Amino acid sequence: MASSKKLISREEWEKRLNNVKIRKEDMNKLVMNFLVTEGYVEAAEKFRMESGTHHIDLATITDRMAVKKAVQCGNVEDAIEKINDLNPEILDTNPQLFFQLQQQRLIELIRNGKVEEALEFAQEELAPRGEENQSFLEELERTISLLVFEDTSNCPVGELLDISQRLKTATEVNAAVLTSQSHEKDPKLPSLLKMLIWAQNQLDKKAAYPCINDLSNARLEDPTF
Amino acid sequence: MPSATVNKPRPSELLSRLTSAEPEVKVRALREVKNQIIGNRTKKLSFLKLGAVPAVAGILADSIDDVTDNNNCNNDSNNAINILVQSAAALGSFACGFDAGVQAVLDAGAFPNLLRLLANPNEKVVDAVARALRMIYQSKLAPKYDFLQQKNMEFLISLLNSEKENVSGLGASIITRSCETNLEQKALFDAGILRKLNSLLEGGSLSQRDASLESLATIFRNNPEVISKFAGPEIGRPLSSIIDLAKDRYPRTRLLACMCLIVIRNASPHFLQDIGIKTKLIHILLELLDDPGQVGDEAPFAFSSLIAQKEDLQKLALEANAIDKLHHHIKKGSLHPRRYEGILLALADMCSKLESCRSKFLSLQVLNLLADALTDYNAGVRAAACICLKSVTRSIKNLSAGYFMNETIVIPLVQLFLDPSTSVQVAALGATSNIVVDFTTRKSIFVQCGGMKQLVQLAKSMESSVRSNALWALKNFVFQADNRLKEGVFSELTASLLSSLIRDPEPSVQEQALALVRNLVDGCINLIEFVFAEDGLILGAIGRQLQCASTAEIGIQGMYALCNVASGNEFHKEAVMQLLFTQMGDKNQSFVIKFLQSNDSRLCTATVWTIVNLTCPSSPGAPGRLEKLRNAGIVSQIKNMVNDPCVDVKLRVRTVLGQSMAFGDN
Repeated sequence: MASSKKLISREEWEKRLNNVKIRKEDMNKLVMNFLVTEGYVEAAEKFRMESGTHHIDLATITDRMAVKKAVQCGNVEDAIEKINDLNPEILDTNPQLFFQLQQQRLIELIRNGKVEEALEFAQEELAPRGEENQSFLEELERTISLLVFEDTSNCPVGELLDISQRLKTATEVNAAVLTSQSHEKDPKLPSLLKMLIWAQNQLDKKAAYPCINDLSNARLEDPTF
Repeated sequence: MPSATVNKPRPSELLSRLTSAEPEVKVRALREVKNQIIGNRTKKLSFLKLGAVPAVAGILADSIDDVTDNNNCNNDSNNAINILVQSAAALGSFACGFDAGVQAVLDAGAFPNLLRLLANPNEKVVDAVARALRMIYQSKLAPKYDFLQQKNMEFLISLLNSEKENVSGLGASIITRSCETNLEQKALFDAGILRKLNSLLEGGSLSQRDASLESLATIFRNNPEVISKFAGPEIGRPLSSIIDLAKDRYPRTRLLACMCLIVIRNASPHFLQDIGIKTKLIHILLELLDDPGQVGDEAPFAFSSLIAQKEDLQKLALEANAIDKLHHHIKKGSLHPRRYEGILLALADMCSKLESCRSKFLSLQVLNLLADALTDYNAGVRAAACICLKSVTRSIKNLSAGYFMNETIVIPLVQLFLDPSTSVQVAALGATSNIVVDFTTRKSIFVQCGGMKQLVQLAKSMESSVRSNALWALKNFVFQADNRLKEGVFSELTASLLSSLIRDPEPSVQEQALALVRNLVDGCINLIEFVFAEDGLILGAIGRQLQCASTAEIGIQGMYALCNVASGNEFHKEAVMQLLFTQMGDKNQSFVIKFLQSNDSRLCTATVWTIVNLTCPSSPGAPGRLEKLRNAGIVSQIKNMVNDPCVDVKLRVRTVLGQSMAFGDN
C-alpha cells in the first residue's frame, strides 16, 4: 500500500520549527497565568521577581485560595464570610452557588452527627431557598434524606458525604471568584496543549512527521510509515 | 434545648448591637448583618421589617467624615474604614435584586451620602460604595439622573474614566437605567460618552464589556441618527467589535451583544440587514436557550425582539428549526416562570404571520401543552399562553377543521375570563376571538362551557379594554352563526345593554358594539328585528353614534349595520331612511354626505352599499326613497364619485346609478 502522505524528516522538521519565532514574554505570561489561576501564590511571586512578569495583585490570589481551602476543609461558614468580604455581589447574584454552599453546610452538620442543628438549619436557611426557587427543592430533599439512612456509605445519596462533593463545591466557588475578578477561570496552558494534539491529529492525515506523543516531556519522536 | 445557632445572635439582638458606642462591636454587628442577608431574600425582608436599613444608613451618615485621608493606619481609622465599608456593603446587599430594599435605602436618605463617599480617599470604601450605588441603579426605583445638566454629565464622565471597575460600572449602570429620550441620547453622544464606552468594549474587563454593551444599547434605542454617527465614520469597525462579542466565550456577553445588535437593526434600516448577520443572530440566540441560568431565561425575549413583525426573520428562524428547539425546552418542564413566559411569547411571535410556522407548531401536538400553560400559577405565563394561542388560531385551515373548538382548550380559556389579572383576561379574549370564528357548526361547545354568558358579563367590565375585547369575541362568535345561536346571544345581551355599549365613552368599544350588531343582523330577515326591540333602542343608538362618529372605523361598522338592516323589507328600509335624515339639528347635511366625501374608501364603500339597498328596484318604496335622496343632494354626490380610484367604491356607485336610471333618472 503506497502511502500518499508526505514524509517530513526530523532534520527538516526541526529546521522549520526554528523558523517559528516565539517571544519569551509570551511564554512567561503563560507560566504566570498558570501559576495564578491554579493559586500557587509563592511560586507566582518568585517567578515575578525572577522574570519580571507582572501578575494581578497577589492578595486577591491569597484571598481566593483561602476561600477555596475553607470549603475543602468543610468550614463553609468561614468560606461564606470570606467570599462576602472579597465581593458581596458574588453570592447575592448567584443563587445556585449560594444554595450549593448552604447545602454543603448542611452536609457538614449531618457528617458531624449534629442532627438537631441540621434539621433546624435546613428549616431556617434552606427551606426558604426552596420557596424562592423550586428547582432547589429536589436537591434539598436529597440532602435531608441523608438523615434517614443509618448506613450513609451505602445509601443512594451517599455521594453527598464524599469529599468529592466538597471539592466540587470548592471548584464552583473558585470559578465564581475568578470570574468576579474578571480573570478567566481556566488557565491557558491546557488549551494550548489540546490545540497541539488536535493539530497533530489533523496533520496525521496528510503527513508523516516527528510528533510529540508525551506531553510531559514534549520529545519529538521520529516519523514512522 | 440548646439553640442550634448558638453563636448566631437573633436579628433584634444584632440591631441593638449596631447602636453600641464601641466601634469594634459596631463593625462586627454590621458585618454579621451583611453576612446574614447576602443571598437570602427572606432574611432581607425580616431585617427590613425590623428597621435595619435606617439604622445602617444612620451609621453611614454619622461616619461619613471619619475617614479623611488614606495615611492613618491606626486602629481607630481602621475601624472607621471598616464601618463605612461594611455599612455600604450591607446597604448594597439590601438593594441587590430587591425592590423593597432599594426603596428602604432611598427612604432612609442614604443615596446622597453614598454619592459623597465616591470621593473618599480610601479605595475599599469607594469600592463598596460604588457597588452599592450600582445595585440601586439596577432597580427601576433608582432616582432619575438628569443628563442634560452640565455638572451631571461631567460627573458621569469622571465615573466612566475611573480605573476602578465598580466605579466605571456605576457610570454605565446610570446610563442604562436613566437614559430614555432621544434628547438624552444625543447629549450623551455629544459629550463623547460613546467613544468612552467603545473603548471599554474593546479594552475593558468582562464586567466592563457587559456594562458597556447594555449602555450602548440604551443610547442606540430608536435613534437612527446616533447609530449612524457611531457606526459611520469608522466604516463598521465599532459595529464589528460588537459583532465579535456576540461570539464571546461568556454567555451573558453573547446575549448582551446580540441585544445591542438587535436594537441597532430595529432602529436603523441601513445596518446589519444582510442575511449572514440575521442567520448568525438567530443561531446564537437559539443556542443561548440552553443556558441554565438567567441568560437562558432572557434569551427568548431577545429572540422575540429580533423576529417580531418580521416575516423574513421568521422564515429564517423556521429553517433553523427554531420551533422545534423552543418546543423542546417547554417539554422539559419545571421551567422558571420567566423562561416559560419568554418561550411562549417567542412561539407566539414565530406563528404570528406565517402559516408554515403555525403548521409546524401544530404538528408537534401542542394543544395539551398550551392547555397546561393556561392554568399555570404565574399570570405572565397564562397571558403568554393566550397570546400564543391567538397566533396559532390565525390558521384558517385549522380553524375550518374545527381543531381548536374542543374542551381541552375552551374550558381553561373560558376560566381565564374570570382571571384576577386584566392583562390575562384581555389576552384570553384575544385568543377566544379567533377560536369562535369556527367555520364548522361546533360553536355550541362554547355556549355549553358557559363561554358566551361570560363574554356578555365581561362586556360590562369596568376596564374598557376588557369590554371592547369581549365584544370583539362576541362579534366573531355570531359571524355567520345560525339563528338560534344569535338569538341566544341577543337575549343574553339585551337591547338596552347593547345600545348603551354603542354609546360607550370609549371609541374602541363603540366600534366593536356596532360591528357586533352588523354581524347579528346579517343573513336572515328575522334577525333585523333585533334593532327594533324595545322601541328601536339599538337603531336609535346607531343613528346617534353615526352623527358624532369620532373615528372612520365607527362610521364603517355603523353603516354596514344599517346596510344590513336596509336589506330587509319596506318597513326596515323606511326606518333606515328616517334615521339618515333625522337628527340633522343645526347641521344642514346628513352625515351621509360627510361619509361619502371621506378620504377613507372603506367608509365610502359602506355608505354607498347602504344606498344600493335602499334604492333596490324590486322594492315598491324605492322611487320615493330615491327622490328623497336626490333632494338631499346625495345622488349628485354619488354621481361625482363615478370615477373614484377605489374599485369597490366605483362598482357600488355604478350600481346605484344604474338603479336610479331604472326609475327614469337622467
